[in-house]
Amino acid sequence: MIVIGIALALIAVGGAGFLYRLAVGPSLADRVVGLDGLLTVMVTGVIAWCAYADQGFYLTVGVVVALVAFLGTSAFARFVEGKRR
Amino acid sequence: MTGVIGSVLILSGALLCALAGIGQVRFRDLFTRIHIATKPATLGVLLIGTGAMFRIDIPGAISLLALMIILQFITAPVSAHLVGRAAHRHGDWDRDAAVVDQLAETDQL
Repeated sequence: MIVIGIALALIAVGGAGFLYRLAVGPSLADRVVGLDGLLTVMVTGVIAWCAYADQGFYLTVGVVVALVAFLGTSAFARFVEGKRR
Repeated sequence: MTGVIGSVLILSGALLCALAGIGQVRFRDLFTRIHIATKPATLGVLLIGTGAMFRIDIPGAISLLALMIILQFITAPVSAHLVGRAAHRHGDWDRDAAVVDQLAETDQL
């Protein structure tokens, strides 16, 4: 059980790194990478928390966040591509 | 025994997430950052989801975790590729760091 606590702490470190990239990314594409990675880390965190608490309620939240992350990232990619220099 | 296997798998996936976060801070180019950001998106979710299958003892959890892993495997490379291509076409990347640029040759066709 304490191993999954350590895993949750490591996932929090990863989320902090992606949040740093989302905050200070020089270009818009860097911020999109940070947002996508933050949502991915959120999915892994939801799964790890479900394993920690031995509950299955929030697994549906993980599925929904994974789908919304793909939709948001593809929409932002179209937005970045359409914006000519 | 299954709990130990699940713990090891979850810990290795979480280690991949932490490495991706450290890489986001330390890498200096956009494409290297996309490269490290896609590792927890596929392999990290696969490892943590498989580990959680060993640990969560609830009916229906395994199918939801399998759905999540399959969705991530379909969507995560596609979205990373979309962001990389959009950034390349928009021009906000470091041209001096690139050894070969095959997408520019393809875009001119």
